[in-house]
Amino acid sequence: MDAVETGLQGREVVLARSIAVAAGEQAREAEAELYRLLAPRARRYGLRHLRDSHAADDLMQHVMALTLEQLRSGRLREPERILSFVLGACRLTVQELRRGARRREELLQYYGEALMPDVVEDDVAMGHQRVAECLQRLPERERSVVLLSFMEEREAGDVGAALGLSAGNVRVIRHRAIARLRDCVESGGVRR
Amino acid sequence: MSVLHDTHVPFDRLVDYWFGDMGDADIATIDEHLMHCDSCGAQLESVALLTQGTRDAFAAGEVGAVVSADFVARLVERDVRVREYRVGPGGSVHCTVAPEDVVLISRLEAPLHGVGRLDLVAEMPEGATEHFPDVPFDAASGELLLASRVARVRPLPAHDFRLRLFAVADTGPQEIAEYVFHHRPWQ
Repeated sequence: MDAVETGLQGREVVLARSIAVAAGEQAREAEAELYRLLAPRARRYGLRHLRDSHAADDLMQHVMALTLEQLRSGRLREPERILSFVLGACRLTVQELRRGARRREELLQYYGEALMPDVVEDDVAMGHQRVAECLQRLPERERSVVLLSFMEEREAGDVGAALGLSAGNVRVIRHRAIARLRDCVESGGVRR
Repeated sequence: MSVLHDTHVPFDRLVDYWFGDMGDADIATIDEHLMHCDSCGAQLESVALLTQGTRDAFAAGEVGAVVSADFVARLVERDVRVREYRVGPGGSVHCTVAPEDVVLISRLEAPLHGVGRLDLVAEMPEGATEHFPDVPFDAASGELLLASRVARVRPLPAHDFRLRLFAVADTGPQEIAEYVFHHRPWQ
């Protein structure tokens, strides 16, 4: 049994079943609750695999609209597999968006525009002053690894080659540094 | 790797997942886990927030760090405004920061061959010193690239400051290079 299927007894399944058997307005509350449960998960999938908050939003909206439509129409024949369906829809949508992103990238290169896509929306972003303060508290080696990792999101081997470190060493430093950075930022930047 | 329904993914594994430091099968397994585990999802979101926060802090000129030549080259390719000063051992340079500069790089040439650990000491004009032990470096490159905190450097009045590099061995630290920067405000 895979990890998604183990969600069989979850609230998501109860809601999916109720949507599948209800008609029209009767399912509205269940749909809203299911959306609140699943939309953030679809968006996280998009953030991880698309690296762009706007693309992640597009993915989330598309996948949730598709999921609710399939449930309402009865075409999602096994509501107990709702999580597998959403994950599958996320994967397919990412493939489609990547094809679109490649086209967009070609256009950007052609016109010489360079953009660093935002990973998260401005309204939920951490204050950069606090992050900067916590970054400056990291030892030099850790700060360099974190900066190069987050700025370019490269694998450990690439970051290590740039700093004279092995990939394994980068991973160890990165684990420690990001955990420290997170603790510092979440504690308001007052812990050392 | 298997991720059971009621077993959370360790934070280190989520970091590896975020950066792609694992195989496709492991990524797929964590994808599945995150589809039902909001606790781990919140952990992953914290990594996403730190990613954006770090980018914003660097773009605001609030982060200083050792970086690589490739990293600087890629910033230039993206049309980020980079001001760079190259200085050799024992050398000095006149420097400033323009209003439009986003990144300020000091490219310190140094005899790094055979160096195991490198310490950096910054001497400010008032006599204050700041010690940065064990900075990362690529010995083969023969240089150390420092990204300065532009937002802090830009408003400074005219002043001179020194950087010293020390190779640290079992026998103790040995100075291998010194650099003098004559900073002037942009005019």
